[in-house]
Amino acid sequence: MTKGYLCLVLHGHLPFVRHPEHENFLEEDWLYEAITETYVPLISVFEGLVQDGIDFRLTMTLSPTLISMLSDALLQERYLKHINKLIELTEKEIERTKWQPDFKNLALMYFERFRHARDTFEKYNRNLVYAFKKFQDLGKLEIITCGATHGFFPLMDVCRDSVRAQVKVAADHYENTFGRRARGIWLPECGYCPGHDEILKEAGIRYFFTDSHGLLHGTPRPKYGVFAPVYCKGSGVAAFGRDLESSKQVWSSIEGYPGDYNYREFYRDVGFDLEFDYIKPYIHPDGVRINTGIKYYRITGTSNHKEPYVADWARQRCAEHAGNFMFNRQKQADYLFNLMGKAPIIVSPYDAELFGHWWYEGPLWLDFLFRKVACDQNEIRMITPSEYLEENPRNQVITPSFSSWGYKGYSEMWLQGTNDWIYRHLHAASTRMSALVKDHPGAQGILRRALNQALRELLLAQSSDWGFILGTGTHTSYAIRRTKDHLLRFNRIYEDINSRNIDELWLSDIESKDNLFPNIDYQVHQ
Amino acid sequence: MKILKQPKEILKKVIAKAKSKLKIKKAPKVAKTLKRQVAPDVLDFKETEIANTKFSHGENFCFTRSLPQELPFAYGQDKIILQVRDPRWLHSYWELKDATLSGLKSSLGDDFYRARRVLRVYDVTSITFNGTNAHSFFDIQINDFANSWYIDTAGPGRSWCVDLGLMLPDGRFIMILRSNVVHTPLDGPSTITDEEWMIPDEMFARLYGMGFGLGRSSAVGRAWQERVKQGVFSSGLSSSPVKKEVQERNFWLKVDCELIVYGATQPDAKVTVQGVPINLRPDGTFTLRYYLPDGKQIIPVKAVSADKLEERTITPIVTRETK
Repeated sequence: MTKGYLCLVLHGHLPFVRHPEHENFLEEDWLYEAITETYVPLISVFEGLVQDGIDFRLTMTLSPTLISMLSDALLQERYLKHINKLIELTEKEIERTKWQPDFKNLALMYFERFRHARDTFEKYNRNLVYAFKKFQDLGKLEIITCGATHGFFPLMDVCRDSVRAQVKVAADHYENTFGRRARGIWLPECGYCPGHDEILKEAGIRYFFTDSHGLLHGTPRPKYGVFAPVYCKGSGVAAFGRDLESSKQVWSSIEGYPGDYNYREFYRDVGFDLEFDYIKPYIHPDGVRINTGIKYYRITGTSNHKEPYVADWARQRCAEHAGNFMFNRQKQADYLFNLMGKAPIIVSPYDAELFGHWWYEGPLWLDFLFRKVACDQNEIRMITPSEYLEENPRNQVITPSFSSWGYKGYSEMWLQGTNDWIYRHLHAASTRMSALVKDHPGAQGILRRALNQALRELLLAQSSDWGFILGTGTHTSYAIRRTKDHLLRFNRIYEDINSRNIDELWLSDIESKDNLFPNIDYQVHQ
Repeated sequence: MKILKQPKEILKKVIAKAKSKLKIKKAPKVAKTLKRQVAPDVLDFKETEIANTKFSHGENFCFTRSLPQELPFAYGQDKIILQVRDPRWLHSYWELKDATLSGLKSSLGDDFYRARRVLRVYDVTSITFNGTNAHSFFDIQINDFANSWYIDTAGPGRSWCVDLGLMLPDGRFIMILRSNVVHTPLDGPSTITDEEWMIPDEMFARLYGMGFGLGRSSAVGRAWQERVKQGVFSSGLSSSPVKKEVQERNFWLKVDCELIVYGATQPDAKVTVQGVPINLRPDGTFTLRYYLPDGKQIIPVKAVSADKLEERTITPIVTRETK
């Protein structure tokens, strides 16, 4: 019998990085790497499961910026160029490693993998969003939305108009993309402030997630801890709390599976290891060495000495780790079932890029886990939040606590000496945006275009990614540039509108660069 | 702390960015200068030029106006904002119009110069604050040039409001700006229980500890602190959640050998190397590159003419020995 539910959540997000004005732009690689290493492998796992008739459930964020980039023709074209170069490099590698069978096998593995990535990319007409949509339409995947540009809501609390714009732009974008309203949302950085649930409700969103303390420190006490959702007082929107035990097993740098010595070492890449003239065509045109994604070693141990990767050993460990994860969930569910007198839901959210990009074997581990849960037991059942709520409509009403899943659990990652300067500018822009909306209801023509672009620029400036990078305190120039560029563009539009002097040539230029959310309506910012 | 770590990847990316900026002569000003810098409203011509170089590579377009490179220092308003950093700390920033300050100067006279600038922090939990009904307040003396401050309230689960004001020598407080009201979250479980969803304390303690992944018997009081210690926070796009970089002494040396075998023949000839056919360039030349392991490599290179009537074989023998 079912003693508990397992709700796996992958949070897929990348900030909007698209620079048509540059032939090569390093930060665009974030997307290309994620496609090759995370999104394609995940899609392949889903395809395999469906083909083998394995029932599975996964909840996954595709952030609006990620969807926008995956759907963008320029970035699609550039991805093909990127993956073709990698395929060319693996061909050379197969030749070069001829007298080193261990490495030659690995070069072949990457060659196959990259070709498979290209084939998959082409198969879905270069737009992987269609692939994810397919599995949603099959009822296996529940895609949820996120803040439009992943703004950190708690630090927008003084300008709730901006929170509303983040949510509404995202929800409308979701509907345009997937042909139905979003049921759930991943609040960016899991950042929740009491009251924001009202805004979710306005957008028709029925549930979101908080970190553990969001529920555990809610008022009144949540009877079932994080093992049952609650309804927010007032709005009735459901909040699911993160279970840390299952998180730790996968995520922890100390005890997590990804640190296993048989798994692939992330930090040894041919982009850094190989002779300069040979690797030069595959690194940055300036000659700066970068990760290519071709990595030949296993973690091996704690020292710098690394041994070649052995795919079969890693696969074996992956199967064991999936079995271990399932066993622990069974134990956990069994215990909680007896304690609570009803089946707990164990919510395990992870950054999607953990699977494949950082933890190379992650997608394989997921594959094993789905298969084992479906075939080897009947105590735990995979479920999406929507299904859970449909089956369990009666839940406690509380006010969850302000919380995030960032460093120390609140706002500090985004509010410290290195990044606190951005908020006076972001908030000023929010206030100005609200004023623009109030002063220009129902605008048409070029004024409307300017107002819409103003909102795009404001949203882009709000991405929590910039604050996060600034918060790490080192190598921050790109994040600073992006924050400033969008705010400066916003301010220019604001001044132009107020002086009734919109520069159409300039506006067209930034519309073509920051081209996301084509159907945006500036009037949501109120 | 893993969250502060930058993997090589990002580091390299950023170096690349920095480099590409060097090319255009001058890197934009970075973090250090940002904080309290006055942005020129009037554009410096050089900066305009740089902006154009950066954003109009090649033939793309040219736009007639360019943006300033720095954000304004102030937005011409009287405003103080309060935000919550965590259960204990608040952050406040503010901006004062010149006119507001000069107004104070003229109304207070000499007292203005003898006054100290102060943040007055009110505990306004569960009340509608009218300026006089706070449960309590405390003052923080700040310097005249500060425009933001972190405030230690030591008070989780309460509501706060802040006045920016002047403390006159005679002890009078002159309020200049009043902030929004914020609420600090609890840093432990609520003491309020729901009658309908009542739960025995001992059972809640178990569920509470388990929610933080601490097993079944952890004390409620410590669970949150334990959880913060353990980490398991999201590490965003820029750092690996998986693993720390190895910390060893940094000095190292790495040496490897590769072998380049190259040659030329008639462009229409068929060439094999160690029995494996290879492709010639259109001019009949070829280059092969191999990792060279220790030991002896015998590398017969055989060319057969297009009409198969002639053939030549040359066999380099290479030995690598690493000591």
